[in-house]
Amino acid sequence: MTANKVTPLKAAPEPQPETETRVSEGHAAPRPILQVEGVNKIYNNGTVALKGAGLSVKQGEFVSLLGPSGCGKSTLLRIMAGLGEVTSGTVKWWEQDYDVVGSKGRKLAFVFQNATLMPWARVRKNVRLPLDLEHKGGSADAEKKVDDALEMVGLKGFDESFPRELSGGMQMRASIARAMVTEPNLLLMDEPFGALDEMTRNKLNDDVLKLRKENGWTIVFVTHSVYEAVYLSSRVVVMAARPGRIVDDIKIDEPYPRSPDFRMSTEFAGYCRQVSQALERASAMGESKEESH
Amino acid sequence: MSTPLIRNERFVQIAAPLMVGVLVLLLWQVSVMAFDVPKYLVPSPVDIMQSLVTDFSSLFNALLMTLKVTFLAFAISVVLGVAASLLFVQSKWIEVSLFPYAVLLQVTPVVAIAPLIIIWVNDTTWALTICAVIVAIFPIISNTTLGLRSVDPNLLSMFRMYRTSRWQELVRLRIPGALPYFFGGLRISSGLALIGAVVAEFVAGTGGSKAGLAYMILQSGYNLQIPKMFAALILITLTGILLFAAMVWLSDRALRNWHESALKVEH
Repeated sequence: MTANKVTPLKAAPEPQPETETRVSEGHAAPRPILQVEGVNKIYNNGTVALKGAGLSVKQGEFVSLLGPSGCGKSTLLRIMAGLGEVTSGTVKWWEQDYDVVGSKGRKLAFVFQNATLMPWARVRKNVRLPLDLEHKGGSADAEKKVDDALEMVGLKGFDESFPRELSGGMQMRASIARAMVTEPNLLLMDEPFGALDEMTRNKLNDDVLKLRKENGWTIVFVTHSVYEAVYLSSRVVVMAARPGRIVDDIKIDEPYPRSPDFRMSTEFAGYCRQVSQALERASAMGESKEESH
Repeated sequence: MSTPLIRNERFVQIAAPLMVGVLVLLLWQVSVMAFDVPKYLVPSPVDIMQSLVTDFSSLFNALLMTLKVTFLAFAISVVLGVAASLLFVQSKWIEVSLFPYAVLLQVTPVVAIAPLIIIWVNDTTWALTICAVIVAIFPIISNTTLGLRSVDPNLLSMFRMYRTSRWQELVRLRIPGALPYFFGGLRISSGLALIGAVVAEFVAGTGGSKAGLAYMILQSGYNLQIPKMFAALILITLTGILLFAAMVWLSDRALRNWHESALKVEH
């Protein structure tokens, strides 16, 4: 049975208006933008990828999904994006049925593990792709959005380059710019900086925080790195494997904007210890399950 | 300071094989002269060149006929092959149902079915073209289908996230991504179209005004005009090389900006 079967919408009601698009740190009770309730995902070969996953992402939050390999982080993220069907459970968008809101109303963007650019197209065309797919490309407004996005990610002047002419970090920036042009309510990022070196990764972490502040993004971010999760997030959700499930939800109660100084602070070290311990427990849960099998 | 010619990569690429060719021709000429080998057994390169000049008119007409069949067959193979691939990627069911028949075309020796086609099709040019298409079409179908299916799964996910139509997916994603595979198919198919045209003509044995190079080879063989036979053979080989070179050029032009196969790597 597929409760969250994603089908094109014919007569979708307008999404509920956003009352607040900017990041609302410190404000009372922001609305949940996305709610995952009791989601189970079982593959055809019987593998239980997710069991009873429940997660609510509020407007303006930066939620990191952290866990050992095979715990279903990416699966959960893809389900949030409507890219995977669930076996049972529900996914709600602005407290409405996921499908009812329709693709236009959802306004989400996905940044993949690698830059996922079209190698045959120049950077400008790659960044404009979501607008082209929504038949909004070609207009002066679209071109301006592309220019703005390229400028914000520091790729101004590279719009006529081909992806192969860019470094790994620059390709990832182009990928982020492509996500930006859709002006998403929710940005889903699947280990976007996993393949980059430490320095580039740290730089891009700061860039993401800056862009989030400027654009009012709500972000769900999958990572393997405890440090990255703590540095970026307002919440770290820890998952365990076999079956994939959420086992911990740790609030990182530190104000934004965060600077590299935060990485040197005792608070940062404390959160890292707390999250690492949670991750250890989650890993142990997966291993004990494996042994009992 | 200008680079010495020997260090010029492009010069070496042309000069080295050319020198080997000249050396082989020289050795051939000297051996034939030294051992006094009769012309009707092994003609010397000079004999072959003489034949190319004296029989130019008949050889040139034959070449035109072979080229006509080759180009017709190649063009039809490209159009039909790409159309079949586009059809195959529409659904796994269509591919599973039809692909075995494409393989059937590939594994059936053209010499075995050429007599049938020649009986069925009245016009000789078309009969030869159909035979050549049967030989040349498979690499286009197989390579293009593979290319259209080899899409970056993440890019495909992105397209699906935006609920794009199949048309958009095809035009914006699958077709550009399949180009390197398609051009690989073109390189193989261009040579096969020529081989198919020649083989079909051998079977058909067409003479008169529709005589191609294959018929010229057969006829020269019967008359022991071995230098002319070699001259026709050289024309076929040259045509094949030129066709292949044209496909390589076309592929490089189309892919030079982005695909590894056409990129110039600097060390």
